[in-house]
Amino acid sequence: MRPFILEFQDVAFSYKGQGGLFQGLSFGLQEGAFVALLGPNGSGKSTLLKLACGFLRPGAGSIRLWGRDLRAYRPRDRAKLVSLMPQVPVQNLPFTVLEVVRMGLYPYLGGLSHRAETAGSLSPMEALQAVGLREKAHLALRSLSGGELRRAFIAMSLAQGAGFMLLDEPLANLDVRYQAELLQLLRGLNERGITVLMSLHDINMAFFFQEVMLLSEGTIKAFGAPEQVLREGLLREVYEVELDRKEGFFTAL
Amino acid sequence: MIKAGAFLLALVLLSVASVLLGPSPINPVSVEPWQREALLSLRLPRVLTALLVGGALGVSGVVLQGMLRNPLADPYVLGLSGGATLLAAGALLLGIVLPYGVAGFALLGALLTGAVVGALGWRHGGLWPERLILAGIGLGFLASALLMLLMSLSTDEALRRAVLWMFGDLSLVGWRGLPLGAALVAVGASVVALRARALNALLLGDELAHTLGFSPQRERLVLFVATCLLVAASVSMAGVVGFVGLLVPHIMRALVGADAQRLVPAGFAGGAALLVVADFLGRTALSPTELPAGVITAIIGAPYFLYLLRKKGVLSV
Repeated sequence: MRPFILEFQDVAFSYKGQGGLFQGLSFGLQEGAFVALLGPNGSGKSTLLKLACGFLRPGAGSIRLWGRDLRAYRPRDRAKLVSLMPQVPVQNLPFTVLEVVRMGLYPYLGGLSHRAETAGSLSPMEALQAVGLREKAHLALRSLSGGELRRAFIAMSLAQGAGFMLLDEPLANLDVRYQAELLQLLRGLNERGITVLMSLHDINMAFFFQEVMLLSEGTIKAFGAPEQVLREGLLREVYEVELDRKEGFFTAL
Repeated sequence: MIKAGAFLLALVLLSVASVLLGPSPINPVSVEPWQREALLSLRLPRVLTALLVGGALGVSGVVLQGMLRNPLADPYVLGLSGGATLLAAGALLLGIVLPYGVAGFALLGALLTGAVVGALGWRHGGLWPERLILAGIGLGFLASALLMLLMSLSTDEALRRAVLWMFGDLSLVGWRGLPLGAALVAVGASVVALRARALNALLLGDELAHTLGFSPQRERLVLFVATCLLVAASVSMAGVVGFVGLLVPHIMRALVGADAQRLVPAGFAGGAALLVVADFLGRTALSPTELPAGVITAIIGAPYFLYLLRKKGVLSV
């Protein structure tokens, strides 16, 4: 059995002044996994991702990255292993595309130096090449389209050398063509060994993943191959809506 | 690198020229004793003050616009100048005397205000940009209200001195206050330079900053304290010099880009250059009448700022 890259053990979490969101949440993710995180609004998808990279801290239980408690890592060492792309990357940033991708080198830099000696496996330019933005390296970030912006941040994470990418709804607000492009890019990266856990809105998109984790009100309802998880009865219960399945895809009635 | 070197050389030449030129130009080859006296005791400390104050204002503007994600932020948005002015002008109006003089009061006022703004901006274990801005604006209003109250109760002569101080005056501090001011500026600017990458990362948002290995709340606190030191030092040395901290970051961003690793040193150099030139013009343009440096910085800077606004269409941090 391959080692767990991420392991939640009896994790509890609640936002200040609100009821508990997670209680006794446990699961393990293997290296090389390509997982869609599915669930209705408020089910805890974003929170789970923020816990997984240490941005939020669990109230109880432990979260392990490569078998070691997340809190035991120095922040910059952790940054070389896992990255999170937030749901809404800040708009209207003053940087060029390359400047942002180069920030992926920050975990490798000390003091006033500008150059990293041992950075991730891809240089910033190679990372831009990998996401198809090489020609736009010197353009202003704010001139990019929504899909390109997300690809730029994926390039940053590649330059960062993080072998484990967490992405919070990277397909949201994209036209279907750009959704397909982005998904294809992430699958390609997964084939090159990068573990991917990303939250999704579109149930049907989850068919393109190796595994699906279905979240409902802070508990994992199902975790496994898409055909096992994406069953009508289960989805109806979790999303509280009548679903119709035509030619393999779901539509709400 | 060549650009940076050329800019630094220009800054040095400007400073030397500003020391030597004035209402009575000084020939560096044959210096009369009285000129020597004027040079060392008046002009040199004044130009050094302009360099330090301009640099401090430029850097703190860069930090605040970035950290607060607000292109309109300037060093005085946190209310530090209000607190400094209240104590300094208050001391002038009430005729209180302290060892470090007006500068000491201003420094104390700025640092106290910084501490209160920081305490008000603190919640859930960290500083929050919106809270900092609101706390700064609120305290600034309170300070200016108290100041007006004091002024309406004061004599004409004390009022005149207080108002002149409030306009900003680079000749006040002299050699006596320079070492402390220089030390504060050096500490503040060095901290900011060392945290330039964190400043970039904070602009991406707290999640991405975390992802890159920074602790957003700790970085904000460090940058806030460093900025308070810079602003307090500049206000205590020269009073309130407007526009430098607002304009210089925008001008330098247009010249060197937004990467804080370049923008922070550029902000220092740009602020220093602008204030040295403004001070020189203020001394010579309408000689023997001296114009406050803050007036000149606004007259030079504002049109250029408007030109940038017109050319780029958007202003951002």
